Amino acid sequence: MNNELFGFEINVWFDALARVGIIVGFMTVTVMALIYIERKILARFQMRLGPTRTGPRGTLQSVADALKLVGKEDLRPRMADPWTFELAPYVVFVPIFLGFVILPFLLDWHVRILELGLLYFVAVSSVNIVGWVMAGWGSDNRYAMIGGLRAAAQGISYELPLVLALLAAAMLAGSLNLNTIVVAQAHIPYIVWQPLAFFIFFVAALAEMNRPPFDIPVGESEVVGGPFVEYSGIRWSMFFLAEYAALFILALIGASVFLGGWAWPLGEELGRWWQLVLVSAKAGGLIFLVFWVRASVPRLRIDQLMSYSWKVLLPLTFVQIVVNGAVLVYDWPDVVLLATGVVGLGFLFWVTDRAVRRPRPRPALVAQSEAAR
Amino acid sequence: MAMPRLPDQEFETQDIMINMGPQHPSTHGVFRMVLTVDGEVVRDVVPYVGYMHRGAEKLCETMDYRQGIGYMDRTEYLANFNAELSYVMAVEQLMDIQVPERAQWIRMILCELNRISSHFMFTGAFGTDVGVFGTAFTYSFIQREIVQDLFEEITGDRLMYAYFRPGGLAWEVTDNFVERVREVLTQVKQGLKDVDGLMTANEIFIARTRGVGTISTEDAIDYGMSGPALRASGVDLDIRKTEPYLYYDQVDFDVPVGEHGDVYDRFLLRVEEIRQSIRIVEQCLERLRPGPILPERMPRMLRTPPGEVYIRTEAPRGEYGIYLVSKGGNRPYRLKIRSAGLSNLQALKEMTVGQYVADAVVILGSIDIVLCEVDR
Amino acid sequence: MRGIAKSLLTTLSTFTRRPVTREYPDVHRPIPQRDRAFPLLLWDTEIDEPFCTGCHACERACPVECMTVLMKDNPNHTSQGGSSSRRKIIDKFWIDYARCMRCNICVEVCNFDAIAMNNTWQGHELSVYDRSDLVMDLQQLLAQHRAGDIKEWVAQ
Repeated sequence: MNNELFGFEINVWFDALARVGIIVGFMTVTVMALIYIERKILARFQMRLGPTRTGPRGTLQSVADALKLVGKEDLRPRMADPWTFELAPYVVFVPIFLGFVILPFLLDWHVRILELGLLYFVAVSSVNIVGWVMAGWGSDNRYAMIGGLRAAAQGISYELPLVLALLAAAMLAGSLNLNTIVVAQAHIPYIVWQPLAFFIFFVAALAEMNRPPFDIPVGESEVVGGPFVEYSGIRWSMFFLAEYAALFILALIGASVFLGGWAWPLGEELGRWWQLVLVSAKAGGLIFLVFWVRASVPRLRIDQLMSYSWKVLLPLTFVQIVVNGAVLVYDWPDVVLLATGVVGLGFLFWVTDRAVRRPRPRPALVAQSEAAR
Repeated sequence: MAMPRLPDQEFETQDIMINMGPQHPSTHGVFRMVLTVDGEVVRDVVPYVGYMHRGAEKLCETMDYRQGIGYMDRTEYLANFNAELSYVMAVEQLMDIQVPERAQWIRMILCELNRISSHFMFTGAFGTDVGVFGTAFTYSFIQREIVQDLFEEITGDRLMYAYFRPGGLAWEVTDNFVERVREVLTQVKQGLKDVDGLMTANEIFIARTRGVGTISTEDAIDYGMSGPALRASGVDLDIRKTEPYLYYDQVDFDVPVGEHGDVYDRFLLRVEEIRQSIRIVEQCLERLRPGPILPERMPRMLRTPPGEVYIRTEAPRGEYGIYLVSKGGNRPYRLKIRSAGLSNLQALKEMTVGQYVADAVVILGSIDIVLCEVDR
Repeated sequence: MRGIAKSLLTTLSTFTRRPVTREYPDVHRPIPQRDRAFPLLLWDTEIDEPFCTGCHACERACPVECMTVLMKDNPNHTSQGGSSSRRKIIDKFWIDYARCMRCNICVEVCNFDAIAMNNTWQGHELSVYDRSDLVMDLQQLLAQHRAGDIKEWVAQ
């Protein structure tokens, strides 16, 4: 019952523990780095400097924040439901954490590559919605409850476009194994054939991560933090950790499924470090895009969010999947895929534009005076 | 927007009450509104004002006219010059003082610059309400800083200027005033382009604001609204045009009027007003001539003859009126401040009921209240 | 989508601009000469005594009543064999900076140009742990001008 880890033979249980420890450590460091980078980048978008005072160029700001959060008192409102309240952060945190298992960092550098990796990821990552609802319900706070219910509605609505968009790419690769999907893109990444699916994946991922413009559950100016409003200290930091870990994971998944991961454009024969650079550049680009969007767009309203998902994104993903199926079964040329993608994107943009040009109701007197004229 | 009832009699939905404020991040000060919500839809809203009440009117009655100016600043901390202007104009009218021409032009420049900075405060805070993470806020605040730096050079303070005096100005502006104002205007134009590019055409912004918080023209008039909030509902009422004070009749500017009475119109209108204010300031700079800034013979102690006067001016938020009763002597017998914010806030219920919770915040932001002015 | 693209381009253009932040405690913005922080008393270096005669003009004009002034006979007056022409001089002077609303009225009413608004950074960086530390006495009020730290600006 021994396993090999970094060339050492150790007991499977220690092996498991060690792997968990590595993931948690890696995740924490990544999240802290991401928070620092986000603050710096957002600051530049807003012509500010961001953190400068803790450590050289403010690099230790995240560490300081983490220490502060750990040191803070862990408060629980008197009327809160103890079990729901206390367990909610774990229910949010653990599924995200499990998502790390299948990430294809490099050719042979991963925790575990599962044959149904994508399915596993999709199944595991949607569990955290339960945690959001628990946090919202358990806090005995009305802002939190509204936030929790919003999170549930949003999470469920955007899970489907996200999954279907990933599925569209997986159909082309003919596998749910992430490594196989990456290898299949050695020559042309799927974003070329599936621009629509990539766009929908990006939008749905933003919603899944509760990033702007879909930060409705936490909407700072409306429900003041939503489900987190009563949390403090380490429990709050776990929500935060989960949020940024999800960002990291989804960026890596996006980079692997749509942008060719470590394989494109230089192929498998490349050295390990170059592959790492490739993956990080792609994932980093996606993360930058997320930050950029955050700096630029307002927040949607909950009804707009839902109708956008169910009425626009979901039908379009279905169309994309049907076309993919037809292309695969009848051996149509690949250009059809690209054409559907482009036409679909055009349609999507057109629908979005049309939605905001709808005529508005006018106040009575103005309408009257114009009718009289 | 009624929710369909489920057939099961056992199942009941319950409206819940949400207490928004006074420590809510987007109530623009210490303002509290109690929302009754059915799911996400607001059924009722009860605003509570008065957390900021300091009795500014009563305080001014215990002070002589010069001391009161400082308190006017503090009633309207985003458009201090406009507030001071109403007050000093009321005193001037009572005392029948002729203000020198140069002082009037400088007042006009400063008031319009202050309107610009106040409207930038609106775009910034409103952007945050709608959910742009801080970007609109920093864009706007950079412009506000630029204008405030200019004010500090002239008056010595960044916020509470206390610069207008009955009869004119406290002291002469700086030597490089004209160049500095022009410099500020060019920077503000660039900043306006940024804010405009960030928000105005953004589809999500439009989706959030169009057709939200509509108030009809009749209702807007009945509630006594004024300023941009009223003009967005299609009423062409601007005191600068209808009852020109200072030299507003000698400059050329347009009064933008909305036609839908919704939040988006209120936003567009304010952005347009910034442009018009820039136009006004540019014209004022052309007309500015050297001269005295106070009348020849000013009494050292200001004493008014008995009488009463009501002066209203167009502050960024609407009609800012001062009703001043004097029974002689050096202090007012009664001072009443008619603030635009309080009247505009009355329409909150009319606008909010039936909208979503998220819209309630946006609507409150679009009224652009200053709680100090509302509560006085 | 065109509008969102425009927003994104706008933020991108500001991304490439220089940040406007001033790193405050390290870098102090030069403040204009007319800056009004809090009132200070001025020191007559020729005769080596304060300008202030303790005439109560500022105390009476202060809208918030933040000043307390006590006057005394000037021991340095010519009649006492001294060099000063001031018959009366300030004995004790307190200004409660926590109450002061910085309206500049005290400077305007002063007949002796004895009081001015602090226009240095020292006038702004006044954080203390106890409000009573903000009640400045005569020595504290005079110290800065006596040391030649401020160039007072008094409106004409």
